[in-house]
Amino acid sequence: MRRETRNDALWKFGSYIFLLTITALVLIPIYWMLVAATIPQSEFFSWPPRLLPGLHYLQNFQALQESVDFIRSIGNSLIIAVSYTALSLVLCSMAGFAFAKYEFRFKEPLFYAILATLVLPIQLLIIPLFLLITQIGWTNSYLAVILPWAANPLGIFLMRQNMKAIPDALLESARMDGATEFQLYYKIALPTMIPSLSALAIILFLNQWQAFLYPLIVLQEEKMFTIPIALAQLVGQQRVNFDQVMVATSLAIIPIFLMFIFLQQYFIKGILSGSVKQ
Amino acid sequence: MATIDITKLRKEFGDEGEQIVAVEDLDLTIEDGEFMVFVGPSGCGKTTTLRCVAGLEDVSSGSIEFDGVDVTDQRARERNVAMVFQNYALYPHMTVRKNIGFPLRLSTKQSSDEIDERVEEIATLLGIESLLDDKPKELSGGQQQRVALGRAIIRDPEVFLMDEPLSNLDAKLRSVMRTELQELQQELDVTTAYVTHDQVEAMAMGDRIAILNEGRLQQVGDANEVYRSPTNEFVAGFIGSPSINLVTAEVDGDTLVGPGNFEYVLDDVSWVDGRSRVRVGVRPEDMHLVEDGAGSMPSEVTVVEHMGNENFLYARMGEVDLTARVPSKMRPPEGSRVRFDFDEEDLYLFDVDTQESVKTKTGETDVGYEQYVHNSV
Repeated sequence: MRRETRNDALWKFGSYIFLLTITALVLIPIYWMLVAATIPQSEFFSWPPRLLPGLHYLQNFQALQESVDFIRSIGNSLIIAVSYTALSLVLCSMAGFAFAKYEFRFKEPLFYAILATLVLPIQLLIIPLFLLITQIGWTNSYLAVILPWAANPLGIFLMRQNMKAIPDALLESARMDGATEFQLYYKIALPTMIPSLSALAIILFLNQWQAFLYPLIVLQEEKMFTIPIALAQLVGQQRVNFDQVMVATSLAIIPIFLMFIFLQQYFIKGILSGSVKQ
Repeated sequence: MATIDITKLRKEFGDEGEQIVAVEDLDLTIEDGEFMVFVGPSGCGKTTTLRCVAGLEDVSSGSIEFDGVDVTDQRARERNVAMVFQNYALYPHMTVRKNIGFPLRLSTKQSSDEIDERVEEIATLLGIESLLDDKPKELSGGQQQRVALGRAIIRDPEVFLMDEPLSNLDAKLRSVMRTELQELQQELDVTTAYVTHDQVEAMAMGDRIAILNEGRLQQVGDANEVYRSPTNEFVAGFIGSPSINLVTAEVDGDTLVGPGNFEYVLDDVSWVDGRSRVRVGVRPEDMHLVEDGAGSMPSEVTVVEHMGNENFLYARMGEVDLTARVPSKMRPPEGSRVRFDFDEEDLYLFDVDTQESVKTKTGETDVGYEQYVHNSV
């Protein structure tokens, strides 16, 4: 008994050391980014390296804003990511609901076909998509970035798996109570799926927030640049403006932090939901 | 309120080639205001029948009418039918108030205030008015059950359907809710179809009982009828607890001869005219222990179950297991040899091949109760 308690304590101690190490490994680059954003480029490679933040943040930001219209990029990124997330949530949850709770012809093959698109690399899709977008005349528009990826196969898969857990009796009960099929979706299925929807929202938002290659191709005018494209402009052939890059990234991570903090209660529930029988 | 007419109802599941017939050519009328209980073993088609009436399953053929109006092709929400599910199916994200009011919000144009008023009326009727702002997960099984009932009755449906609504409750609560449900049904006077696999529940609750087996309707009748006059061996075996004792016997003149020296002399031989073999049935409560030398069923007691008010004797007669319900004072030790007997009026006989009834109980059903009624009290 006594020995077991000691083993437990040792095990716990070891686990904490391990977790602290991992946390440190994750936090150090973020801390360095914050420090680097507040010092002039000249001090960037000084030795010993600076460990405390400086006072150069605003100057760095000014320089950044002069190089690229970063405030506008933030706006573009927000518009694209938020509307993409909202639209995609609607589409994925509807498709997931249909795949989970309805019977229709070719349901299985259709579902696996959608899943199969997950393995297609983006590089394969970019050229046909670019040609399509150009023909429609959507280049340099938000729609060009939002629409092609809105029906996200991963999202459809996640929603289908989670919605399978909605008891059939719940939907039948609502049908008996007089609900239409669409009311089943938005009055019963959606509210019970808030945890999974939150989890999916974070994934979708993050995906779109950091998307680079595809937006780079369809957004060619500077006024339409999203954050990742704007960042790329700071990396020249001869010189990288590290101070500006660091200011920009320090700003770019804020929405993700906020979103995660706001949704994490649901997100964690969403990851766990369905793991045990309630 | 409505009369439900089910005509030649047939429901098949599965693809062509490997179809399973869940309900086969079912004809049944449930009268206006009647409490009809569907009972039968698992897979007998009782729930499927109920779901067809609800509109949750498409029928393969046949028709369902409410008050003469064919509803076979109507959707569930067009039928004005309410249903209580086995697991209650409460909406987890809504409070009790919202749960109960949900059908009204969807199906009527009443204002929020009117709906709230009605919800409170219903909650008072069911004794859950203090729970209106709780979520379903905060409620006990019995409370959830009441909420489910409230949601069913709020819009005055023509027909009530209940799919084993008591099976998730513990034994004590189940009997309380059983009585409550009956009272509620009588008060509201709504035509009700109730599904259960528990024959005790069926006998206790139903105005009439429909017994199904393998998708076919076996018998419809009140509790007394199905108990005393089953149409076949299946009904006789399904109704009554513990179940009826059954033995195959040879007919030898006026005597029935069976395994383990079973011998029973009939007073009225006409029951077995022209038969060489017959299935003999005796209910456990009709068997009584008799003194040595008499009795038609010599057997050896294997287990005695003491119920307090009575004893169940499990015995073997040759290769056949018997069950007898005897007064609690009768407690022969396990392993002892005893003899049982029964009265001819309590004897059931079934055809060996078709299993149809040949003879059922013939004694008086009613001994008169006038002398026990005291109107002055």
